[in-house]
Order: sequence, then structure tokens, then C-alpha cells
Amino acid sequence: MNRVRICSASEIPTNGMKTYDTSLGIKVLIANAGDSYFAYQGLCPHQDVCLDEGFFDGSTLTCHQHLWQWDIATGAAVGLAEAPLERYELAHEDGEIFVLQSSALKVSEMFKGTSDSVIARLDALTRREEHESLSILYSIGDPADDLYILESGRVEFLIGRGDRTGPAGFMLRKGEVFGWAALLEDQPRRIAKAACLEKAIVLRMNGAEVLKVLADEPGSGYLVMRQLSMLIAKHLGSQGDK
Amino acid sequence: MKIQLNARNRAHYFDAEVADKILHAGLSSGITLPYECGSGTCGTCKARLLSGEIADAWPEAPGRRYLKNPDEFLMCQCAARTDISVEVSTFVQDVDPGVCVPAAVKGRIRDATLLTHDVMQLYIDLQSPIEFDAGQFVLVEVAGVPGSRGWSMVNFDRAASTLRFVVKRKPGGALSDRLFANPTAGIEVDVFGPLGSATFFPSLATNILCIAGGSGIAGMMSILERAADENYFAEYDGDVFFGVRSMKDAFFLDEFSRLRERCGERLRVTIVFSEDRASASTQIDHPLLSFDTGFVHEVAGRHMQGRLQGMRAYLAGPPPAVDASVRMLLMSRVSTANIRYDKFS
Repeated sequence: MNRVRICSASEIPTNGMKTYDTSLGIKVLIANAGDSYFAYQGLCPHQDVCLDEGFFDGSTLTCHQHLWQWDIATGAAVGLAEAPLERYELAHEDGEIFVLQSSALKVSEMFKGTSDSVIARLDALTRREEHESLSILYSIGDPADDLYILESGRVEFLIGRGDRTGPAGFMLRKGEVFGWAALLEDQPRRIAKAACLEKAIVLRMNGAEVLKVLADEPGSGYLVMRQLSMLIAKHLGSQGDK
Repeated sequence: MKIQLNARNRAHYFDAEVADKILHAGLSSGITLPYECGSGTCGTCKARLLSGEIADAWPEAPGRRYLKNPDEFLMCQCAARTDISVEVSTFVQDVDPGVCVPAAVKGRIRDATLLTHDVMQLYIDLQSPIEFDAGQFVLVEVAGVPGSRGWSMVNFDRAASTLRFVVKRKPGGALSDRLFANPTAGIEVDVFGPLGSATFFPSLATNILCIAGGSGIAGMMSILERAADENYFAEYDGDVFFGVRSMKDAFFLDEFSRLRERCGERLRVTIVFSEDRASASTQIDHPLLSFDTGFVHEVAGRHMQGRLQGMRAYLAGPPPAVDASVRMLLMSRVSTANIRYDKFS
């Protein structure tokens, strides 16, 4: 895990925020909420607008461009926002701010908010795989055994048969989940083809094993199922249902 | 030409003519492509070209500063030369039933009159009527003048065959120079619309607040006309803050007085001067209107203190003024779902 110094805590006033270009190759936003500091991705997930041009009142962060908002304590989307902010673990030591890049599992839209023990058990089930551009993760008709979380890169989906295939969307954000048929009953086969359109890193875990972990911890299990149904609704939903 | 558009959630397919902007072709096919200004400045409609060829009508468009890679382009400025496939990195859905789908229509400008030294009122007669919602705008293009401009309708009519606008003079702007030099001449125009999501429907059933600077008042007039038609202010409050620089920049005062008379005292209209005070005679001539001095967002914030919660706010005007109003509303903890504007940055 990468730990990087970002700035001195004194650079950021109470209820203030600032973005920094880091050696991780990403822009990081540091916000001072008075009693604690938080670190997030520096660009709005909507249109890459720099978030420190927006508004911050100590609890809610607002992008000035289209008024997407997030809870500063969690990065959860509020109001009009359609995606959460990626949160980085932050250490505040001797007046200096450091961030650690967190795993895709922890920031994933499906598993966020689950207990530490669930995250630890899922982490133990996880295989981290690197795939070259144009490699195929699975094809239509393959067994739907595994669930995937994108860590970096880009994965596209195709549905249809033979020559009559059509694009069915793509994943490009860290923490996006796909292959969720692995969590469903009576869906033993893939109905889409998933291919990496650029070099990608994915976390891969067996769906049946994941379900066992969730069954052992029903509180987290319930949360994951709610987040899964919201994910499915987002991909199917019509405008105005957000 | 066949267009394939890959969005985050699925692919969409539509046809476009050689002359059609890709954004227009998609919107008029009932696909909710991302856009905001529709006129090359905001960058919201950026897309990636995956295959095929496009023609860019305005390679200098200011919105291109939001593009990061050479294969990115603005859908509002580009037309397809061949069959193309493109990609946008947002979720794109089909339009909801009941929403006005935009279309291209020919029109002719008539009866341009000066409202102030640099604001003009004009009408466009359309060859065929269009449906629009209160608060929407259209893109207007004139042969021989590059680019298109977004103008908000002042009127509100079902199946409108005439649209009414207020247009601010842009020094050096090709179209506004032509209009201001010879206001009575008819000018043939291409109209595309309606566009914009800062719309008002009577089913909103909540108090409304309008904060507008200069010619941004246009869309507010449409909203107020619709609300007045439905007797909306019998049940809900309407607060309007109309900011202009000085007395010589004020217009629509008679129109506001008539609206106020028609709607009753739950509609309150405040004319705000940033660099001036209302003359005594203006105040005497318009006893139903209030006058104040300051920046329009500050005056609105002061008058509305304690009354902002649950209100729907509509904002329009120069981008810095809209930003200032947004900041004022957010600091007063107004929910973003209740703040509506279309920014022509």
C-alpha cells in the first residue's frame, strides 16, 4: 500500500479544502472539517471538474458545476450526485497529512459500509488479477462463478449472440462491481461478454463463498443486497428515478 | 448516417443527416444525451470518437478546453461525415414520456425593439409550432453567422408558433450587431429546441423563488406566465429578484406591475440595482413593485431569510451571478434538488 505525504495540516483552514497533485499520479482533495481531516479524489466523478473550486461547509462538499454533493465523513453521494467519491485513508501525524490508497474492495459501491470483519473475510477470498488490453474476462455461456471488482483500467460488456452482439455499457471507476450473476440463484451462465479495453486490474472472488460470508453476518449481508439492487436499478433505470 | 453511441449503461442507435449536429440528432431521437449550453461553451456534451469521421463546425469553441484527448469532441458542434460510433462516459437513458422532445424548425425574426440601450426584445415566427416547458430555451442559428446562441423563451404557450425573447447586446457579436443596427429587418433563422431542465410545472406545488440578472429574466417570465395562468400564486408564494446595474438598464417594470396585479400579493417582485437607487418617479409609477440596492443574490438572501427551506429556486443570468446565488442558497442549506439553472458559461 502506498503512503504519501500530501501537505502540512496548517495549509488547510477549518471548513476549507485544497487539492494536490501527488506522486501517485492522482489529484487528492484534503478537507478540514474542524475536528478531523478527510482525503478524497480531487476531481468530480461526473466531469472531472476540480472539486476545490466548489463549496464546502464543514459537512457537505458540493461541486460547483452541476451541484453534485457528498457527505465529507464518508464520501457517500448526497442529493443529485450519481456516484460516491473515492476516499483515501488519511494519517495526521505531527502536523503533516499523509494518505494511503485504499483497496477497491473497501470503496466498492457494493461492499462499502460493511463491517471490518466482513471486509477482512472478503479480502481473504480475493484474487487480484492483471489483464492485458483486449483480454476477455468471460464470454456468454461461461459459468457465472465469480464476482469482479474493478481496481483500475476499463472493462466493456457485450450482449447478444453470434455476430449480433451489441455494447451493453462499460466500467471505468475504481470499485465498480460486475459479474454479479455470481450472486444470483439459477443464473449459472454469463449473459454478457466482458473484455478489457485497456490494461485492467480486477479483484475476483467466488460468488458462493461471498454469499456464505454474507449469510454469517446478516447485517452486512442485508446492506450488500440493498446496494446490489440499487446498482441493478441504476443500470436499468430511467431518467428521473435517481 | 448511422450513429452508435456507447454510454456507461448501454448503447443507443440513431440516424443523423449530414447537416445535423450529433447532439441534435440524438436529442430529437428521444435520447437524453448530456448537454447544458448546447452552444459550444460548457463542455458537457463531450464524447469520444471510436470510429468513423466527423466534421467540426467550430474548432475554436471555448468548450473544447474541457477535452483531454485528441479523439474527444463536442457533440453540439460536430456532425457525422460517415457512419460513426462514439462513446460518452455518463449514463444515458431514453427520454421520459411527456417530456418535450426537441426538433429543428425554420423561423423568422420580427419586431425587434430596444428595451434598454443594450437589451432588445424580439419575436421569432416558426414555420411549424413547437411545445416547450416554462423555463426552457432554444438554440438560434443564422446563416452566415458562426455558432448558435441559446435564448430562453419569455412567453409560455401550448403549441407555440411565435416565440418571444430578450437578447442582450454582445459588443462585437455578429448577430447582435446586425440586430441592433437594423432591428426592423426580418432575419431567417434555424431554431433547435426546446432545451434545458430549469423548468417549472404547476404540479411542483411549492413556493418558488426566481433570482435573475439582466436578460436572464427571460426564462423567469415564462415561468411566471405559466404560474399566473394556473392561478398558482393563490396557493403558493412567488418571490422574484431581478438584478440590473442601474435605472437605465431596467426593463419589464410595466410587465411586472401587471403580473403583480393579476397574481395578488403572494407574488412579490423586487427590482435590485447594483449601482443605483430607484428614482422617486419610478417608485411612484410602480407602487406594486419593491426596489432595493445591492448584488441581487445578497438582496435575495436578506429578504428571504428564514423562508428558503422547501422553496424551489430558479436562477439565471451571467455565470458569476448564478454562482453567487448558488453559494448563497447552499450556505442557507437549501437542498440542491431545489436549485435549478441552465448555465451558459
